[in-house]
Amino acid sequence: MTPFLEVEDLAVEIRRHKTAFRAVDGVSFRVERGGALAIVGESGSGKSLTLRAIMGLLPPSGRVVAGRVLLDGVELPAATRGRGRGHRQRERMSIIFQDALSALNPVATVGHQIAEAPRHVLGLSRAGARRRALELLRQVAIPDPQRRYGAYPHELSGGTRQRVMIAIALSSDPSILLCDEPTTALDVTIQTQILALLADLRRERGLSVVFVTHDLGVVGQVAEQLGVMYTGRLVETGPAADVLAAPRHPYTAGLLAAALDVDTPEHQPVAIPGSLPDPLRLPSGCTFHPRCSFATAECVTTEVHLEPVGPGRQSACLHSAALAAVQAGLGRG
Amino acid sequence: MAEAPASASPPAAAAPGPLLEVEDLSVSFHVEHGRMLRAVDEVSFKVEKGEVLGLVGESGCGKTTVARCIAGQIAPSAGTVSFEGRELGQRRSTEDRRAIQMVFQDPYSSLNPRMSVRHVLSELLVVHKLVPAARVEDRCRELMDLVGLPPDALDGLPGQFSGGQRQRIAIARALAVEPRVIIADEPVSALDVSVQATILRLFEDLGSRLGLTIVFISHNLAVVRHLSRRVAVMYLGRIVEQGDRESVFGDPRHPYTRALLEAAPRLHQTELARPAVKGEPPSPVELPSGCPFHPRCERAEKICAAELPLLLAVGAVGDHLAACHFRAEAAPAARAGSHRGGREDPEKTGEPPLNGAEAR
Repeated sequence: MTPFLEVEDLAVEIRRHKTAFRAVDGVSFRVERGGALAIVGESGSGKSLTLRAIMGLLPPSGRVVAGRVLLDGVELPAATRGRGRGHRQRERMSIIFQDALSALNPVATVGHQIAEAPRHVLGLSRAGARRRALELLRQVAIPDPQRRYGAYPHELSGGTRQRVMIAIALSSDPSILLCDEPTTALDVTIQTQILALLADLRRERGLSVVFVTHDLGVVGQVAEQLGVMYTGRLVETGPAADVLAAPRHPYTAGLLAAALDVDTPEHQPVAIPGSLPDPLRLPSGCTFHPRCSFATAECVTTEVHLEPVGPGRQSACLHSAALAAVQAGLGRG
Repeated sequence: MAEAPASASPPAAAAPGPLLEVEDLSVSFHVEHGRMLRAVDEVSFKVEKGEVLGLVGESGCGKTTVARCIAGQIAPSAGTVSFEGRELGQRRSTEDRRAIQMVFQDPYSSLNPRMSVRHVLSELLVVHKLVPAARVEDRCRELMDLVGLPPDALDGLPGQFSGGQRQRIAIARALAVEPRVIIADEPVSALDVSVQATILRLFEDLGSRLGLTIVFISHNLAVVRHLSRRVAVMYLGRIVEQGDRESVFGDPRHPYTRALLEAAPRLHQTELARPAVKGEPPSPVELPSGCPFHPRCERAEKICAAELPLLLAVGAVGDHLAACHFRAEAAPAARAGSHRGGREDPEKTGEPPLNGAEAR
């Protein structure tokens, strides 16, 4: 199967004051048509910037300095505005954000915001766009769509606002949905509703999804594939269930050991030693080496890259075999 | 303080009564159009000395309002807060205020960005005359040590620290006045997973080493289940279930507690969690009749819309309470099995604990 979204060696540079650093560096991944990839990382890992770079929505301080993004085989331009083939292609992507309140226009009704793309991108008539907006409100399971059409974002609850943002994202009839922590600000009971909605939409529309989150606990529910980011690089990729069950990068293992699960309260969480490095002074070699218990002299001097470590799996660790052995030992013990 | 409370409170000492008691606490706020919002409604609980009570609930359930009442920051409309058997009024003595300290979710906005850590701490020590002037610097260093920061952190400004370090500073500030009770309001919710663990460990340490009593407020069930001995679950201003953590999480009797448990993110869950509650919480100014949870509840029957269930004992003995007309029923086994089966198996078969860190 040919990949639908293909990101190759993407690098994003952020300028801050008079300095610049690579906040995303050498990120490559593929998403199949209808497939879903979760990207997990902590704050500052570059996961959101990766998503914004794909969408062409980098902040003014950021720019793509290397790599390319292909959608259905067509390369997307780095800039957001324009009329070429790539720009039309980008209209097949939509993005939803964590904070719906600040992503929505506070002075336009939600109906107006949902109808905008059908009217201007899909070229529907005013009445047609309205019908489509109402239909979308129904699809995202907002009760009483006729009444909600005229509501302003501040009049809605957090969960409903997130549904509105999803409706807006769907309004241009995208083939791929980029999700930037869409459920992080929501209560868990609402989170399950939104995740179920996204799953339904994926199934019904054959949507591809890239889902960025800091929460390992939702990964398995939203995506079959997982990528773990640290200091702007992908350090591990593979089928989500396999990666979570037996990580092949010490950072992934560390995240899992630090996390709590409601079913295992006796598990004593273990923090990853040290803290995130300053992006202006990243450690040499493997950037995780100062915090890693597997680190050797080689890790300080050798540039690491994702290497195959199993069926469909890759890890950017020189000692992934040693990690696997330790885990196998734990399993027997 | 490392010495003082430790000598005053050997952890196993049989306390004559609860250290902290909240009785029938209600808080109402005036909102627009002359309406009243009942943020907290007849909340009662006790916290024994040295105990960690977890207060769980989603946004808007009133957990923070309860915390602020206990700390004396807002006045309840009805009900009392007692400390060591004495009722605490709204005008509290300096000592009573010192005894109960709060730690907030966002340490950045609760610390003065222009004041060095030393300045923050020494000011407290001097104003409250906690140590002689000559001992202030030593005490500051002790506090840093207590929260696991190096002494040179005293020279830093809050902006120079990471989120986890800032939370340690906020905890050091709370500890500086030698409190007996710490009310921690979502203290790890803004932190990355990798640092969350160290702050939780710090709270555990403070409980065991200093004999501190902790009210730990969180929306995160995993965190509360890990840290607390007793748990209270809140929904729309009321406690809907309360008891020790094994009973509440192991045998939840309120459908809302069950819904929260089902919705909690799980590390090895590969199937989608089934949305266990319908809709969204109603507006707190227009509460539903009867049980406030009934419009979203799967178990609801006629009586639920008519009659407010009281928080009553689930069984004949024990202090497991639930505010549900059907509290005598255990979780429906068939349903629990159908979507729990998948994720409980790995634990029961003793799969590897999946963490390289423990093996290191």
